[in-house]
Amino acid sequence: MAIRQFLDGIEHHFEKGGKYERWYALYEAVDTIFYTPGKVASTTSHVRDGVDLKRIMITVWMCTFPAMFFGMWNIGFQANSYLAANPDAMIADGALREAFILALAITGEGAGWWDNFVYGMAYFVPIYAVTFIVGGFWEVLFATVRRHEVNEGFFVTSVLFALICPPTIPLWQVALGITFGVVIGKEVFGGTGKNFLNPALTGRAFLYFAYPAQISGDTVWTAVDGFSGATALSWAASGGMEALETQIGWMNAFVGNIQGSMGETSTIAVLIGGLILLAMKIASYRIVGGVLLGMIATSLLLNIVGSDTNPMFAIPAHWHLVMGGFAFGMMFMATDPVSAAMTNTGRWCFGILVGVMTVLIRVVNPAFPEGIMLAILFANLFAPLMDHYVVQANIKRRLARG
Amino acid sequence: MSEMSAKKVLFEPIFTNNPIALQILGICSALAVTTSLSVTLVMCASVIAVTGFSNLAVSLIRTQIPNSIRIIVQMTIIASLVIVVDQLLKAYAYEISKQLSVFVGLIITNCIVMGRAEGFAMQNPPMLSFLDGIGNGLGYSIAILFVAVFRELFGSGELLGFTIMASVNDGGWYVPNGMMLLPPSAFFIIGLGIWALRTWKPDQVEEPDYKMSAHKTREAF
Amino acid sequence: MAKKKETVGKTIQVAFALCIVCSVIVSAAAVSLRPQQALNQELDIKSNILQAAGMSEPGANRERIEEQFGQFTPRLVDLRTGKFTTPEELGVPDALSYDQYRAAGDPNMSTRLSSAQDTANIRRRAHAATVYILEEDGEMVRVVLPVHGPGLWSTLYGFISLEGDLNTIEGIGFYDHAETPGLGGEVDNPRWKSQWVGQKLYSDDKSEPQIRLVKGGADRSAEDGEHQIDALSGATLTARGVENLVNFWMGEDGFAPFFKNLRDGEA
Repeated sequence: MAIRQFLDGIEHHFEKGGKYERWYALYEAVDTIFYTPGKVASTTSHVRDGVDLKRIMITVWMCTFPAMFFGMWNIGFQANSYLAANPDAMIADGALREAFILALAITGEGAGWWDNFVYGMAYFVPIYAVTFIVGGFWEVLFATVRRHEVNEGFFVTSVLFALICPPTIPLWQVALGITFGVVIGKEVFGGTGKNFLNPALTGRAFLYFAYPAQISGDTVWTAVDGFSGATALSWAASGGMEALETQIGWMNAFVGNIQGSMGETSTIAVLIGGLILLAMKIASYRIVGGVLLGMIATSLLLNIVGSDTNPMFAIPAHWHLVMGGFAFGMMFMATDPVSAAMTNTGRWCFGILVGVMTVLIRVVNPAFPEGIMLAILFANLFAPLMDHYVVQANIKRRLARG
Repeated sequence: MSEMSAKKVLFEPIFTNNPIALQILGICSALAVTTSLSVTLVMCASVIAVTGFSNLAVSLIRTQIPNSIRIIVQMTIIASLVIVVDQLLKAYAYEISKQLSVFVGLIITNCIVMGRAEGFAMQNPPMLSFLDGIGNGLGYSIAILFVAVFRELFGSGELLGFTIMASVNDGGWYVPNGMMLLPPSAFFIIGLGIWALRTWKPDQVEEPDYKMSAHKTREAF
Repeated sequence: MAKKKETVGKTIQVAFALCIVCSVIVSAAAVSLRPQQALNQELDIKSNILQAAGMSEPGANRERIEEQFGQFTPRLVDLRTGKFTTPEELGVPDALSYDQYRAAGDPNMSTRLSSAQDTANIRRRAHAATVYILEEDGEMVRVVLPVHGPGLWSTLYGFISLEGDLNTIEGIGFYDHAETPGLGGEVDNPRWKSQWVGQKLYSDDKSEPQIRLVKGGADRSAEDGEHQIDALSGATLTARGVENLVNFWMGEDGFAPFFKNLRDGEA
């Protein structure tokens, strides 16, 4: 209990009137990393529960681990497969990463799972670190100026943001993206709980429109210079089902040893984390169900409608599930409790809207290869409206009941 | 407005009563024409000319305008002025008028012009109305120039066409921010600009619609 | 007085007077400035053509553009026969004032393309097009041809310039489009455009143009390397549009019959 004593000992400096009053947010953040918050709500109605915001956020964070670890392995696996065939190719981005990889692992032919993992670490860890430091800086800055606590929600935002970046993204873009996500996506509206957009997706959408060359296309997904490999979505757009089956195969896409953003490729790893979230009732099964339902219905409809010129129309639902960031978005992004709908009926509507829009953007819109990011942001905008109508309908029903 | 000095009428719209930042009028063209500074400058000149002269003209005949058709009269005057400006640009600044395309014509629908004609020129003498038009045009200009500087600088690394930061495609180091070239970026810049302006002049902050009650906590142990 | 100005008579009077004054001002401006505007438009087209031909000089003034453009002879080509036609037949005063894109909307001056023909998705093709020919010592050394077709968001309008052999590309340029800045908008990038220079449209054994925009970079050493251009990264549909429109306009429904006649001296 030495830490408790130390923290208690310095606490008075940070409270009102203390000499470090301005830095209360930092003190509080450190304190609550180690201990349960010492404050409880005192207004009349509240529920007693072992789960608080901090525990929820940390659980979500841990649930991304399967996708995160698989993602790191996959970065290495993709790169080493290519290096094995082309020993002259260069490891992408910088001598430091290369030195790290070469010091700890074998590259190219004969690389084992550990070597792949180290390779991936050299890419994921710096991106995550930059996300965390830059995003954390803004978080603490706003908390300090506004004199409220630093929120654990940022743990989740930062890991989600890092996982949806391609491995070769320049680190300064990571910094800009998370800055935009945290400041414009969240803090200008008042911070966690008041943001109507998912901050991680807002940051990624900013990068997507600002620097499309570094976040989309065929060359960004594998951490080797000059490598060009299409994602499943890109194959589907150009060659349809035939290309998907021959070039990728459903099982590969499901397991995830394919091209894609760092944490998004493996549907199975995402589902493992997602199922834990569902079981613990952190993620709403209504939203996840709605997304699946919307996706399946829309893809079936488009299968029936068919198209001579657009091969994407023929992609069946089970492929939509494993391509791009669908599973990841459905489990971790759409279920964000702040920016999604809050009412149960609203959650169904919200999920369905995400599912429908995802498939529509993927299939019908030629400009955007992936749809789930924009679909979720789009649905985020409508979430308050859906809740409003659900609440109004409830009021009406109760009035009619007398 | 009890006492109106010419100076006040001219300079008030620039910061204290800016049509874009405070009244949130005329946003549409601020999105469309601000990707390059030189185009924006021409747009500013056009708007200043139109607001100034339409105010002057409306004010000159304000005692003659029948109430029932006053909006139509104002529209006709504004539309004629805009067409003249558009023709002049096509003749003497063709390159820029091509980039401005329909947006010169759309000055007609710019709420600032109509708003000033109806709200100010109908009640005030010609000279003062003219100054008010110029002032509001200037206020509009300041706001969209602010947007244009950011958009051109970060979107293509240039200002007025001169390279400030050499872009990667031309062998330099700067990676242009593509979003700055898309219209929504103007929203973000205007928003951030309003944030900065209201931090500087807190009296422009609107009253919140409702207030949250204070968060009450007590020690748990 | 407030009473007086609200009468019907007064209202009509004011409306009438205002209309007269405004219409005089507007028409005066329009009429007096028209010649200047027409001059500008012409100059704009001319500088676009020079740009496609790789002859534009940054900051060139009016005289310089006129002088350079003066070396070209604008001619009208009937795309149905592949032969030169005259302004009289098309009902225009001279070759420069013919507007191909307006003609494409006129059923009497254009043809509806069947979907098999319409590889560039332009729907209607005008019967005639204006081409610009540069001759030196009686020998044709350069010809600039108008091309257009849809990209992702918009129709791309441009010119392609060929050497006298009617096979080697001299330059390409698009003067009007609304593709995504940074992706499809890179069709304006001088570096990308410079790759077209020296590439060949046709191979010896095939009559169809062979231009390909290759994803991930052109391979110049490949067998058909002389037809390859780098695709625009991240802009699949703009690249496909450019590939299609070049191949369409250089093909049988575009200028290929004209080329054949030119070679045979029958144009």
